[in-house]
Amino acid sequence: MGASLSSLTESNGSSNGGGPGFGDIPESCVVCVFLYLTPPEICNLARLNRAFRGAASSDSVWESKLPSNYHDILNLMPPERHQNLTKKDIFALLSRPFPFDDGNKALWLDRVTGRVCMSISAKGMAITGIEDRRYWNWVPTEESRFHVVAYLQQIWWFEVDGVIKFPFPADIYTLSFRIHLGKFSKRLGRRVCSFEHTHGWDIKPVRFEFSTSDGQQASTQCCLDATQQDNANGNHKRSCWIEYKVGQFIVKESDPTTEVRFSMKQIDCTHSKGGLCVDCVSIIPSDLKDRRRIGVLK
Amino acid sequence: MSSSLEKNMLILRSSDGEEFIVPEVVAVMSKAIKNMVEDECASNTIPVPNVDANILAMVIEFCKKHDESEAEAASDLKTFDSEFVNRGQEALYDLITAANFRDVKELLDALCQNVAEMIKGKSVHHIRIQFLGYQLFEILTSNFIWNIWCDRDFD
Repeated sequence: MGASLSSLTESNGSSNGGGPGFGDIPESCVVCVFLYLTPPEICNLARLNRAFRGAASSDSVWESKLPSNYHDILNLMPPERHQNLTKKDIFALLSRPFPFDDGNKALWLDRVTGRVCMSISAKGMAITGIEDRRYWNWVPTEESRFHVVAYLQQIWWFEVDGVIKFPFPADIYTLSFRIHLGKFSKRLGRRVCSFEHTHGWDIKPVRFEFSTSDGQQASTQCCLDATQQDNANGNHKRSCWIEYKVGQFIVKESDPTTEVRFSMKQIDCTHSKGGLCVDCVSIIPSDLKDRRRIGVLK
Repeated sequence: MSSSLEKNMLILRSSDGEEFIVPEVVAVMSKAIKNMVEDECASNTIPVPNVDANILAMVIEFCKKHDESEAEAASDLKTFDSEFVNRGQEALYDLITAANFRDVKELLDALCQNVAEMIKGKSVHHIRIQFLGYQLFEILTSNFIWNIWCDRDFD
């Protein structure tokens, strides 16, 4: 029944004048049109008519939306998950974040631009003193993509290091740390924050750094807690997740593989600090990042 | 007749019988015509079925401009392209079919980009009514069917 009805509507579906119109563009031309549109627009237009639906499933359209080295990304998954998939299904698969490296890292494609985004959990980083429960704890939470964050009670030597080696496609990326001051929990369905351990972050700034295998580096310093002057206009650095932008790096080609080492340090041992959650490091194409800027510090 | 023509000119005959004399370099921007010329299966008059004089003239205008301005600044050509493709729906459709059928890549690209600009950001409803001339009944039924078909699409 569906077929008969849709053929009825399509035969009437040409332009007002009765002659052939926009709706009669052959499928191969629609493919060409789709090269200029974004994946959400293509999926939406697939409903338009038969030619558009056929073109919206064609491999040549979706191959142009995938990053040039998408095979490297697929290799991170078990092969049975991506065998025999069309290019469209591969895009759909990769546009949802998927974990790799024991679930300590996640990678996904931006749905609109098809560019590679990555996130590295605190679980996948080297944290000084992490094995001592007097200093650090793992706190399960829904607020993290990885469902767990590292919570610091108190420490003198605060150091978090990490490294990622991946054939990033050519682009400009921004690296940032996602940090929350204070401990949060749910009480009677409401989110509450406690700052009982939070201290020491207003005394000296934390130093964020990264360097890449081809010699690019960046560093930045920032006081994680509001100093006394800031406090006058209310403390904006508490009770929310803040992404601390460290800097940008440029990848010219996906080969050779880019290695990025990043770190966050506050190792002035004259004062202790604590009461802080570390979630992840994210590596995201810079203009995507700017588009959704939320609480990013320059 | 062929002897009276310069060697590197070709005659294209549209579906309604009008003839256009064009330099060979311009005509072979169409891959289909290029193949015919290379295989030497074309006499000097090449019939171009399915394309009427009006549209053929436009295609030739486009090809001539692109041939002349190869050395010119790319931005000039861009402006020309965007003005060229800015036409009514029906001409656009005819041009696309002609470009597709005759395999004129530059023209097809320019036209498709224009179509993409036209439908970008518009809802399917809007496109159906504005460009496809659908009536309300058709929208209701076809939406129903396509929504079932396309359930698994992400958006």
